[in-house]
Amino acid sequence: MGEMIENVNFTTSSAISDFLKKTPAQDIINWGRKNSLWFLTQPMGCCGVEMISTGCSHYDTDRFGIIPRDSPRQADVIVISGYVTKKYLPALKLVWDQMPAPKWIICMGDCSISGGPFYESYSTVQNIDEIFPVDVFIPGCPPRPEALIQGFIELQKKIMAKKDIGTDY
Amino acid sequence: MIDADYILSSLTKTFPNDFSESKIESDTKLTSYVEKDAIFNVCKHMLDNLECNHLSCECGVDYPDRNELEVVYHIASYEHPVVITLKVKLPRDDPEIESIVSVYWNANWYERETYELYGIMYKNHPDLKPLLLIDEMLGDWPLRKDYDGYPNKTSKNLV
Ligand code: SF4
Repeated sequence: MGEMIENVNFTTSSAISDFLKKTPAQDIINWGRKNSLWFLTQPMGCCGVEMISTGCSHYDTDRFGIIPRDSPRQADVIVISGYVTKKYLPALKLVWDQMPAPKWIICMGDCSISGGPFYESYSTVQNIDEIFPVDVFIPGCPPRPEALIQGFIELQKKIMAKKDIGTDY
Repeated sequence: MIDADYILSSLTKTFPNDFSESKIESDTKLTSYVEKDAIFNVCKHMLDNLECNHLSCECGVDYPDRNELEVVYHIASYEHPVVITLKVKLPRDDPEIESIVSVYWNANWYERETYELYGIMYKNHPDLKPLLLIDEMLGDWPLRKDYDGYPNKTSKNLV
């Protein structure tokens, strides 16, 4: 910090951010965040195919600000779309860590919620929500693209209500 | 014309003592048990002399009642329509067999998977390590029928 100037109060960016969280300015920030939920194209099971088709032009998710991205560095949302095998879990954690905050997770399909058809399998991981902070669960095997869009809209509602787990208010 | 009859007679002529319970189901289907020490040379003979140039599958089967494991080879050809099923019996407590990777290159991953799921050891395999499972699960042999996976090694939130 440079030389102190008389009658001027210095502050830090984290202090500003803490202050903003308590004012209506956060509502405006959240309004911006909820309208640009870019999700990571990271298909993992058969649900992943539904996720890909959701991102295609037919469903026109751009109107909600939902756009598929190829890199975790550009994504806000990761959709766990299918079974997570024990071998894949470390890679998934790495991808999650590479995403810049604020970030959110959506669990899509029975597999990622509780194991689904692979409930008693020796090689899949159960209870993803104990490992990642999951905001929205979408049941189905697989859920239709409309259901995934519904899930995104629920996430938007949660963000506007400041109830999402991804950010701490 | 190469058909199942021709292949079986060629095999039994070359390896008189190694084939048992041979069965010709049709012109194009042949099933037989092979002695485990002979399998490498049998595969080599089939590739070199019988134009069986496609290993379509290699897998394991567990028979706990007989205290045996079986390795099953499905070998086919791009030149003629015969599909040959060869089975090898192995003792359950020490299943060890010669790897056929140097004959059929694509046996590599099949053997790695059969190894991690059944615990069948392949001698002279270039790189015998787990393919789909994590290293910590080695030794569990999940596809053996006495695997005590559920609930100890699978879901923990049940009951
Ligand atoms: S929930 Fe069903 S559709 Fe989705 S990944 Fe699992 S098995 Fe496939």
